Amino acid sequence: MAETYTFTAKDLKEIEKITAKYPDKLSAVLPALWYAQDKFGHSDPSVQQLVAKTLGVPEAHIRGVVSFYTQFYEKPMGRNVLDVCTCLSCQVSGGYDMLHYIEEKLGIKAGETTPDGEFSVQSVECLGACGYAPMLQVTNDKFVNHLTREKVDKLIEDLRAGKKPDFESNPMPQHEKGS
Amino acid sequence: MPEIYIDNKRYEFEKPGKVLQFMLDKGLDLPFFCYHPSLSIPANCRQCVVKAGMPVFDREKKVFEIDDEGNRVIRYFPKLMTACSLDLADGLVIHTHETDELVKEAQADNLEFILINHPLDCPICDQAGECPLQILTYKYGPEGSRFEHKKVHKPKAIQLGPRVILDAERCINCTRCVRFTDEISKTYQLTIISRGDKNYPTTANGREFDDPYSLNTVDICPVGALTSADFRFKARVWEMNQTPSVDITNGKGCSTWLWTRDNLVLRVTPRFNEAVNDHWMPDAGRLAYRKFNENRISRPHLRPDDAGQVRTSWNNAQLTLQEELEKVTADEILVIGSPHASVEDNYALRTYFGNLGVSRFRFLPHTEPGTGDGFLISDDQAPNTNGVKGLGFDEIDEKSLIKLIETGKPKIIAILDDDLLGRTALTEEHLASSWMIVWGTNHNDTTRAANLVVPVTTAAEHAASYVNVDGRIQRTVPAKETLYTNRRLNLEMSMGRLDHYGTKFDNWVSDANRIDCIPAWEFFTRMKSDSDTIAWESSRQIMEDIAGTFPVFREVSYDRMDEENGIQLKLEQDSEVKPA
Repeated sequence: MAETYTFTAKDLKEIEKITAKYPDKLSAVLPALWYAQDKFGHSDPSVQQLVAKTLGVPEAHIRGVVSFYTQFYEKPMGRNVLDVCTCLSCQVSGGYDMLHYIEEKLGIKAGETTPDGEFSVQSVECLGACGYAPMLQVTNDKFVNHLTREKVDKLIEDLRAGKKPDFESNPMPQHEKGS
Repeated sequence: MPEIYIDNKRYEFEKPGKVLQFMLDKGLDLPFFCYHPSLSIPANCRQCVVKAGMPVFDREKKVFEIDDEGNRVIRYFPKLMTACSLDLADGLVIHTHETDELVKEAQADNLEFILINHPLDCPICDQAGECPLQILTYKYGPEGSRFEHKKVHKPKAIQLGPRVILDAERCINCTRCVRFTDEISKTYQLTIISRGDKNYPTTANGREFDDPYSLNTVDICPVGALTSADFRFKARVWEMNQTPSVDITNGKGCSTWLWTRDNLVLRVTPRFNEAVNDHWMPDAGRLAYRKFNENRISRPHLRPDDAGQVRTSWNNAQLTLQEELEKVTADEILVIGSPHASVEDNYALRTYFGNLGVSRFRFLPHTEPGTGDGFLISDDQAPNTNGVKGLGFDEIDEKSLIKLIETGKPKIIAILDDDLLGRTALTEEHLASSWMIVWGTNHNDTTRAANLVVPVTTAAEHAASYVNVDGRIQRTVPAKETLYTNRRLNLEMSMGRLDHYGTKFDNWVSDANRIDCIPAWEFFTRMKSDSDTIAWESSRQIMEDIAGTFPVFREVSYDRMDEENGIQLKLEQDSEVKPA
């Protein structure tokens, strides 16, 4: 365990607010882990230990939860995590092309992090946005849809500058007016 | 009385419960993996599925609907139900694989799923022979596998803790081990990590599975995923004999099984006893196998001069003691009983020296305050403290013992199996002016300091009783032969496959495993005595004597202990162990 993490008094207050919402501590594990991952960028064993200690929940249980959900990162990741979908719909629409383009552009392979700690790239399974394929998700948050090389270039530039992508509304054809 | 129909047969039930447990109680057959009577019910293995339904009740007419043939109309659940989690209800109708094709298919298919990623390593797996997965696959499973792809590989032979080894590939994720640490031992050390076909139980990152009850997870594991580091690859289950016994490493006296092969105790596992330990026992008690096998005293040891001990004959040992006793008077003998020895042996000691005129008998309780946990580990380190008290031995502490020896200067000190030099501040200098005889099982500081050592049997070699901290008397059954016992002649001893069909010339047989020792009481019957009170032929007979003499042991007999899995004694208020 390279680093030791601590919660500040403000963090503890926030977590107390979370636990107050639930009848028992086990229920607060997920939101508390979210809070910790937002703060530290990942949920590695030392973060798991901290959350376990703060909540008073067995450490083993926290590990079980973290390892169950792919959204929790068991090791430190880049500041921006690009989850590029390579499941069926995205694959046939060029998901791998996009993934390989990103890999080439950042000089890393899927599952790796850039040396400056800015980006991690992962190839993931279906994110439920087949209608907008190919697509990727930025750090468990916004989807970037209908990917093209230009869109990827811009996204990476924006993220480097600290600008997160906006939510993009993509009405389905049957919901569009006049159809 | 409420009724339930299982495979078209009517059963009555009194107490509410679950269908699976009810069927097990009735001796009916239903396959299952994750269910355990002492743990919560997650119903995650899906192996005990049954077809279940309730009779249709007409609420207006207040009668059951009847079909054309005069039978109740049954409305079945749309899907198969897990019997382990299904409550008993009046009128409930259950169909198992015996009477329903769908259930039969479901069970076989479910097994096929469980076996998809299960390695075919039964030939090298410790669990083989006592493996529910193996047994149920034989009974209900498909004959071959239709799965043609590569199995998922997971970590193998991980040392989860000092005593437990995990083979993740064999795991079927029944979560029994996780539930055990959550619900019984309450250390919460295990969890299932990851998901889908990649999941397996493990500890938190960087943590050891050092639960003092960790080996119970090995017992309840329905496959070979968790194995004991000590017993791993030692023996096949079907090669061993299984003998009921009692844990002698602790005051709680958990009921145990001793597993022996070629007169070595290879492992100790808990035996179900509702009144004492349920299905569990502490890990420390399982280490008793080393006490039974290793560092044993074989043949009497005599110290003719200061040079050291030499082996001697039984005859010489008896004569030596006789000679020494003739030199002294009764009040020059200090007799110390032992909470580590059985009721019978302590009684024999007391009777023999009582006949010689000794009037006071003492013993030192062996407690270590603070080591108990209120569950199955007690402060009391000895299995028979209450038994010795019940026989009228006076409890003394370390200080008064040393004072007794320093001021009283006894000419003879007689110690029954108890390492007093090892566990108290007593030293050889205190004993310099006395002649000491020790009846001992294993070499230790006390036996090394003795002038005469008489090797006696351990709990694995004799039938004898022990009274636990709660005043429950339980007995052992000989599991291991000594040089003088024979499992073909002693009908109480169990005979395994190898004992039945092997010969003593087989290359797996070693005579060295049979220790040259006798029960302590038997040594006293061999001593020349004017009294005929010492003419016992078995420990069973001694217990009859004790039951007739000491009020605490009234109505205690071997038959009753066997029948009732031990007997709760009514200890007098003053003879109870004081809570530490």
